[in-house]
Amino acid sequence: MNIVSAFSSKKSVELVVQDLQEQFRSVDAKLVIYYASSLHAPEAISQKMQEAFPTAAVFGCSTAGEIASGKMLKNSVTAMAFNGEAISEVEVAVVENVQGEGGVEQAFGAFEKRFGVPMLDLNPRRYVGIVLVDGLSGAEEKLIDKIGDLTDVTFIGGSAGDDLKFTATHVYANGKSYSNAAVLALLKPATEFSFIKTQSFNALCKNLVVTKACEASRQVLEFNNRPAVAAYAEALGVPVEEAAGKFMHNPVGLVIDGEPYVRSPQQVKGDSMLFYCGVVEGMELSVLESTDIIDDTRKALAEAKAKLGSISGLINFNCILRTLELEQKQATEAYGELFADFPTIGFSTYGEQYIGHINQTATMLVFK
Amino acid sequence: MAGKIKMMIESIIEQRAKDNAMLQGVIRTKLMLKGIDPKKYTHQSDDDPAIISKLELLVKDLK
Repeated sequence: MNIVSAFSSKKSVELVVQDLQEQFRSVDAKLVIYYASSLHAPEAISQKMQEAFPTAAVFGCSTAGEIASGKMLKNSVTAMAFNGEAISEVEVAVVENVQGEGGVEQAFGAFEKRFGVPMLDLNPRRYVGIVLVDGLSGAEEKLIDKIGDLTDVTFIGGSAGDDLKFTATHVYANGKSYSNAAVLALLKPATEFSFIKTQSFNALCKNLVVTKACEASRQVLEFNNRPAVAAYAEALGVPVEEAAGKFMHNPVGLVIDGEPYVRSPQQVKGDSMLFYCGVVEGMELSVLESTDIIDDTRKALAEAKAKLGSISGLINFNCILRTLELEQKQATEAYGELFADFPTIGFSTYGEQYIGHINQTATMLVFK
Repeated sequence: MAGKIKMMIESIIEQRAKDNAMLQGVIRTKLMLKGIDPKKYTHQSDDDPAIISKLELLVKDLK
């Protein structure tokens, strides 16, 4: 096998890394990606993982729960190793001070040096990018926006988590841990690949136009020229005081070609609403209604398998709000089982990236 | 003045995607996520300076 996944639920960093190393013994790893519970000390896990696979590119991040083949996990580390038959080339760069200017350009400069082609000229069918970003930085929109401006290569990924503590999240590369940063990886897979973006919502025929917003604070002050929370509550036919209780099952979305790009409300603040991702003035959003995550994911996986013919590996960036819903419905086991037949890793994210920054979605990179 | 936004959007899509329909769709999606819905703008649309400024940044990155 050219792509192998593994997980470890051992308690110390040393034992976890030893365990993963053992499970990857048969792989001549060119690339190792891992997602680690915030239980593990950031500096230690990053250093030990790099030391364990000294000839490989190694990167990862902290999580709010992990996903492995057939399982949803807690307090664990999940990892995937790729050999040279799976990944022809890979380059990893770190964008420090992710809110600042010039970081993406600098990272892309390193990619251009390595691959010898301007990022704008890279063939998006041959190359793919992975982005892992500090999930508490609030900088995801700016980051993915800039990436999208500078290249046609798809960057897919997630915002690091910290097991719902909301104190500090970390991204890992070069044997170090970084906060307020992003790891960008540019891969040239040796095989075909595809993407899944799946969210379990239908659009209701109720539109909310953002008429006043503060983009920097992800705050919507007015929908349809009315106080945001009042307009949202009215669209759902509930009193204003019940609006926050509807957020999980009725987020809003920018619907493009029938596909919602979900923006999840976080909390009511006075008459306004705070979101988990950026909402821009002028955006026409649809109120969404939740559907079945298990059914929708099963269909999305079947479509990807039909498109590629087979799946040799999958990386899943699954929103923590989806994980919470699965836990509420006691469906985490059923969700994990959807990924039992092929090497899988993933984590519960504080935000997902695919073309833009989105919420309540699973974005997946699938290898043939 | 009117119509500049429509022209800029068309130019960006043509330069970036050329005849690639998949890329054209991706670029339209990127624009919509920036709050610029290409379908909303015609040759008669007002030249909104805020939108033009966003598009100018994008044009700069193309060079």
